[in-house]
Amino acid sequence: MMTANNHVMETCILAGRIMLKSGAETYRVEDTMAHIAQAAGMDDVYSSVTPSTIILSYCDGDQDHTRMIRVFRGSVDLNKVTLVNQVSRHYVSGQLTLEQAHQHLLEIEQKKPQYPAWMQSLASGFASGSFTVLLGGTIWDMIPTMIAGMLVNKSIVYIEQVMRVKFFTEFLAGCVGGFFVLLMYHLFPDLHLNYMLIGTMLPLFPGMAVTNSLRDILAGDLVAGMSRGVEAVLTALSIAVATALVLSL
Amino acid sequence: MYVLLGLVLSFGSAVAYGMLFNVPVRTLLAGGTVGMLAWLIFKSLPVFGAQIGLATFAAATFISLASQWLSVKLRVPSTNFSTAGIIPLVPGSTAYKTMLSFVNGDYLQGITLAVETCVAAGAIAAGLTLGLSLFSIWKGIVARYAPKSAKAN
Repeated sequence: MMTANNHVMETCILAGRIMLKSGAETYRVEDTMAHIAQAAGMDDVYSSVTPSTIILSYCDGDQDHTRMIRVFRGSVDLNKVTLVNQVSRHYVSGQLTLEQAHQHLLEIEQKKPQYPAWMQSLASGFASGSFTVLLGGTIWDMIPTMIAGMLVNKSIVYIEQVMRVKFFTEFLAGCVGGFFVLLMYHLFPDLHLNYMLIGTMLPLFPGMAVTNSLRDILAGDLVAGMSRGVEAVLTALSIAVATALVLSL
Repeated sequence: MYVLLGLVLSFGSAVAYGMLFNVPVRTLLAGGTVGMLAWLIFKSLPVFGAQIGLATFAAATFISLASQWLSVKLRVPSTNFSTAGIIPLVPGSTAYKTMLSFVNGDYLQGITLAVETCVAAGAIAAGLTLGLSLFSIWKGIVARYAPKSAKAN
């Protein structure tokens, strides 16, 4: 049995969990949950979010309600963030009932990534290849780099399943791509190793962490911003070490 | 010819990076355009004698402003555009040269290049920040919720 009050809490927490897992900024998660709770008629709404926990509390009449959950990282999926944003906006403006909003959120949580896995690795390869040419490589450098970029993307997915250590995953994936490029360079010495190697490491660049950390710091969430910034720096360092390892061979 | 190829590739790499982050389909092309224009700014300013750091800074400011504006227009979070947009600006080659110098034992050159990399990375961060701050004059930085009293607006 679920009372109306419980339902508000469930909906807010669900929205927050999807957003935080999919890589939203913490201030956006806080705002979304607070807006939903306020629109549901709750008083004294406070939410506090760090990159790994969500705390929401509000007052319903003379009763206090607080809930805290721990969120484990998922894969970045900005489409989900956008969809949850829309649902909360529609609910606040009265176009959806609480029941409908909850239903929509459940559907969003189950959603598969928009682009299938092969398309993502193709995109990863293309990003690598085009970055190589942008930096000054030739069209011939593009082809091995594209394959290396796809390898990097695939190996992130597989290594992540085997071991759940974030930075080591990126390091190993960088090594896989780097060694492939090095092999290609030894087979075809006309290629430019430096441009290819830079391009290969591009899909590992922590773009999400950099932008989110800045936005969080500016929004006043210093703790969240700093922790995301540290994440970005550590990722960059593990890529750098992978590059150094490939270069020193 | 080089410019045309660069425009196509920077567009393509921004779109591809957007796909890696699963951005919604309707923001994909807009994100690519932001990346492309940023690359154009980044490459054309040094022609007029600007330092790399300044060019990066200007391009990052543009990315930030453009993605805020697009987020209002398309009603989606602005991260959808800015994450992919900064990709053509990443100081990949100086970072690489830094590692190369360290591996070769040329520590002095390595540290020089490391500082150069940090300047470029800092310029991206500062540019994004400036864009956000400029935009907040118009929109307010985030619609921070305020308990109860401010609910009416």
